Amino acid sequence: MDFMPREASIIRTLVELADNLVEEYDVVEVLCNLSDRCVETLNVDSAGVMLASASGDLQVVASSSDAMRSLELFEIQANEGPCLDAFRSGEPILNHELLQNDLRWPRFTKRALDDGFHSVHALPMRLRGRTIGALNLFRISQGSLTANDVLAAQGLADVATIAIIQHRASLEAYELNDQLNQALNSRIIIEQAKGKIAESAKVDLDQAFVLLRNHARNHNLGLTDLCRYVANGTISSVSIDQFTPPTPRR
Amino acid sequence: MSDNTNRLTKILSLLATSQGSGIGGTPVCEVATHVTGCTGASIMLLSDDHSKGSLCRTDDVAAFIEETQYALGEGPSIDAYLSGRSVLAQNLRSLSVPHWPVFTPLALDKGIEAIFSFPVRIGAVRLGALNVYRSETGALSTDQRSDALVLSDVAARTIVSLQAYAAPGTLSQEIENGANFHFVVHQAAGILSEQLGISVQDALVRIRARAFTDDRSIDDVATDIVNHVLLFDNDLSNEDKD
Repeated sequence: MDFMPREASIIRTLVELADNLVEEYDVVEVLCNLSDRCVETLNVDSAGVMLASASGDLQVVASSSDAMRSLELFEIQANEGPCLDAFRSGEPILNHELLQNDLRWPRFTKRALDDGFHSVHALPMRLRGRTIGALNLFRISQGSLTANDVLAAQGLADVATIAIIQHRASLEAYELNDQLNQALNSRIIIEQAKGKIAESAKVDLDQAFVLLRNHARNHNLGLTDLCRYVANGTISSVSIDQFTPPTPRR
Repeated sequence: MSDNTNRLTKILSLLATSQGSGIGGTPVCEVATHVTGCTGASIMLLSDDHSKGSLCRTDDVAAFIEETQYALGEGPSIDAYLSGRSVLAQNLRSLSVPHWPVFTPLALDKGIEAIFSFPVRIGAVRLGALNVYRSETGALSTDQRSDALVLSDVAARTIVSLQAYAAPGTLSQEIENGANFHFVVHQAAGILSEQLGISVQDALVRIRARAFTDDRSIDDVATDIVNHVLLFDNDLSNEDKD
């Protein structure tokens, strides 16, 4: 196939990231590759990835250079800058020129200019409406990224997002599968108890559910626990409180 | 570029561009049908060695395959889930060893001639099985089998990714949409256990048996019980006169 070098490199990155979905991989290594590839393929001088921890704090996970890494760390400490804004808003920050006496990020801008950077871009890493981090692209010279560069960068950020989420999913697969089964079993027990109460109280299934919820509340029992006792006969269906809904006030 | 990568890239792009709705709106069953050259597909969720229901299906026959295994507790998907290996029945009329004595004749009656099941799992974590069926006999190619395995892997990761977003103790809404977990059967079991003074477990057995003897789907029988259209006789010697 006859790709331009840049397209070839972007496709190589996509394929590497896709490959990592099926193979065992180190998520930090994947993101370091992504940062390096952004510098190679896009018109930027440094790239880095920040990811949110479980508590929602951003952490620097990968950087294409040490200067980039220390600037990103500074950004987190100063609690201001393009990456934080892209992460918090979920919106990209594109072609932001860094100028002295910046009012938006005064401390970040001074430090970035000292480090020799003159324009910044930050793309949110998003999937299904949730933002898990940001891809940061810094340039030494001023000037804009082309529309193609922006599209390519967002494409890389999207695939990295999928890689990370799939990685987290497989790390948590045991736990999540367990949660899924418990949730499903609890639903099954509730449906069984609803059937028993509907039959014994001669009400429909929705009303039976209201009776169960009301009884659980009155007797300080968990709904699933109560339903389990009803379904297995520990609590007789006829002993469930008969609930008369309060008459609404006029 | 590894073979697996090519395959995954192909599967992901098919999932992104195909019509249909499966797990979380992803057209997994449609793509499974396409890449295996089969007639239809379904994905079953299993736990504790039992089917818990269907996550998605392409058509009524695919739904029948899941429902029948749910009711009988035997069939290719249950075997794939239990063994962790692909179950390939390229000709249901001439299986080399006796397989699924009850399931197989029912499947043949429905026009299913070949059925293939693949475990849906992540490492040792077993979630269910992907089924594809064909209305003609014939084996899957190596390529088709490999595609099905990659698709099963994507399905497994999609399921746990979606459950990761669910509130604690609840089922992911995205998983539940389009799924059939046979809740009506459990409602009917509760009703029947009160009517007959038997345990819910025994009531489930009675509903399954009734569906089998009447040659009806278990969901249909359960719906009739819930609507009080179908009443059971408590006298087992005079079983189930309407």
